[in-house]
Amino acid sequence: MDVSIVQIILVFIVTFIAAIDQFDFLESLYQPIVTGAVIGAILGDINTGLVVGGTYQLMTIGNMPIGGAQPPNAVIGGIMAAVFACTIDMDPDMAVATAIPFALLGQYGVTLFFTLRAPLLEFFRGCAEKADTKGITKWTIVSECILGLIFAVIVTLFFIAGLAVGQQVVDAIPEWLNNGLSAAGNMMKFVGFAILLKVMMTRDMWGFYFMGFGLAIIASNIPTIGSSAVLLVLTLIGFGIAFWDFQQQTELKGAAVDGGDFSDGI
Amino acid sequence: MASNEFVIPERYEDLTPAPNVDQKTLNRMALRSCWLQSSFNYETMQSGGWLFAMIPGLEKVHTNKNDLAASMYHNLDFINTHPFLVTFVMGIVLSLEQNKVDTQTIRAVRISAASPLGGIGDALFWLTLVPITAGITSNMAIEGNIAAPIIFLVIFNLAQFACRFGLMNWSYRVGTGAIDALTANMQAFTRAASILGVFVVGCLTVTMGATQINATIPNGTTRGLSAQTIVVSNEEAENFADLAIDTDTAEAGTMAISDMDGNPLTAADADGNAVETGVTDLGNGMSSVTYATVTETPVSYSVASTLDSVLPKLVPLAMVLGLYFLFAKKNFTPIKGIVLLLIIGIIGAGPFDLWTSIW
Repeated sequence: MDVSIVQIILVFIVTFIAAIDQFDFLESLYQPIVTGAVIGAILGDINTGLVVGGTYQLMTIGNMPIGGAQPPNAVIGGIMAAVFACTIDMDPDMAVATAIPFALLGQYGVTLFFTLRAPLLEFFRGCAEKADTKGITKWTIVSECILGLIFAVIVTLFFIAGLAVGQQVVDAIPEWLNNGLSAAGNMMKFVGFAILLKVMMTRDMWGFYFMGFGLAIIASNIPTIGSSAVLLVLTLIGFGIAFWDFQQQTELKGAAVDGGDFSDGI
Repeated sequence: MASNEFVIPERYEDLTPAPNVDQKTLNRMALRSCWLQSSFNYETMQSGGWLFAMIPGLEKVHTNKNDLAASMYHNLDFINTHPFLVTFVMGIVLSLEQNKVDTQTIRAVRISAASPLGGIGDALFWLTLVPITAGITSNMAIEGNIAAPIIFLVIFNLAQFACRFGLMNWSYRVGTGAIDALTANMQAFTRAASILGVFVVGCLTVTMGATQINATIPNGTTRGLSAQTIVVSNEEAENFADLAIDTDTAEAGTMAISDMDGNPLTAADADGNAVETGVTDLGNGMSSVTYATVTETPVSYSVASTLDSVLPKLVPLAMVLGLYFLFAKKNFTPIKGIVLLLIIGIIGAGPFDLWTSIW
C-alpha cells in the first residue's frame, strides 16, 4: 500500500499526542483501543484498526504501568500493530505479535529517556530559585515536546521504513550500555530518597528510618499482602508511631491535644 | 546551573496565614494536575509536574517573592504518587503552605501522604476500572463497533476527573480545617510528620530499591559420584568388576564400581537418589551393571545471596546512606549524585557485568 505525505504527517501527530498522553493529560487517548481506531481511520481502514486496537488492548490488560513499572510500550506497540494490519494486510493477531518487538524497543526507550531526563530538573530548580513560575511552564512544555517528538520521529521512521529497521536498532545497542543505563536509572531514586532524608533527618530520627526499612522487608515478604498494598499497610504503622509520638510530646508539654481533628488532617 | 545549592529556609519570611484560595484556583490546580508526570525522571520522579500543578495555589498564598522561591524549590523534592489521586496530596500541602508551616513539616507531610496513594490508585484504576471497561469495549471493538473507543474514553475520563476535582476540594477543606489544632502544637507536629516521613523513606528504600549485585565468584569445585546403570552380557560385566578407584584423588570422568578396599560405592542417580554400585546377574546371560563416574562441578559464590543472608536490600540501603552522607556532609548537589550513579551504573555493567538486569 502506498502512503501519502498527509497520512505520514497525521501518523506523526497522532503519535506525538499519544506519547504525551501515556503519562499525562487524559492518560487514556494512548490506549490501543483508541489509537487503533484512529490510525485505522487515517490509513483508510477503520474497521481493521478497531479490531487490532481491541486485540492489542485485551493483551495489555494484564500489563499495566503498576507501581512505576514500565510495561512494553503500548503507544508504539498499538500504533505499529494498526499500521501493519492496515498497510500490509496482516492478520490482526499477527500484527499484534509483530508489534511486540517495537513495544519492547519503546519500553527500553522510555527507561533510557527517564534516566537521561533527570538533569532537566536543574532548569526547574533554576526557575524555582528565581520564583519564575512562567519558566516552570516553559520547561514543562519543552520537556513534553521532547518526549512527543522522540516517539513521533521513531514511529514515523518505522512507519516509512518498516519491519527490518526495528530489529537493526535493537541489535545496534550494546548490551553493557543497555544494562548500565537501566541499572543507573534504577538507582537514581536513591538520590531523591537521600535528599528527603537530609531534609527530615535529625540524630534521633535514624531509628525511625531503620524501623521503616526493617518492617518493609518483613511486609514485602508476606505473600498475602499484595505489592500494591504494602506501602499503605506500612504507612498505617508509621502513622501510628508518629501519632503516638505526637501525643507523648504534647502531653509532656502539658498542652491540650485535639486528637480528633488531627486524625482527620492526614 | 546551581553550582551553589539554593538554601531553603526553615521558616518562610512572611508568617501571616494567607486567606483561603478561591474555587477558581483550586480548579486550575486540579486541571494542571493532569501534567503531573510531564517531567517524570528517575531522580525525583514526578517533582517537575507536581510543582507545575501547585503553582496557581503557591502564587496565591506566597505574596513574598523569597517565600515563593523557597516554596517552589522545596516542592521539587522527590515525589511519586498516583496521577489520578494526586490532588488529595495537593489540597493538604496547599493548606499547609497557606498557613506558613515550617518547610520541613510540609516536605515531610508531602512524602508521607503521597507515597501510599500509589497502591490505592493502581488498585482502583489499573486493576479495576481499566480491565473492566477496556475488557468490555475491546470485545465491542473486535466486533467492529465504532462506539467502543468512545465509550472507553468517556467512562475512564469521568472517573478520572471526578477523582481529581473531588479530592482537590475535599482535602483542601480538611487540611485548612485541621490546621489550627496542628499549629497549636507546631513543634510536636513537625516532629511527628518527620517521623512518618523518615519511616516512609525507609519503607521506600525496600519497596522501590531493586538494585542488586549480580556478580558471582568462582569458588572451587565439589566432587561427587554419579551413577549409571547399563545392561551388558555377563562376560562384559566381569570387566567392570575390578574397576576400583580412590574416590578422593581420581580424575573427573573416571568410571568405578568399588573403592580401593573393594566396597561398593554410593553414587547419585539422575534423579538425585543414592544408589549402590554393583553387578546383578539377570539370569538370562545378561547382567545389570551400576557403575559410578567421578564428577567435578564448579561452585560459584553469589554475592547477591550472601548479601541477602546478611540483610535483604543491603545494596539499596547502603546506596541511600552513602548518598545521604554525600549530600548532608560533603555538600554534593543532586546533579553530582546523578552523574555519580550514571558512572557507577555504566562502569559496573561494562567491564564487571555487576548488575542484575531489571528486564
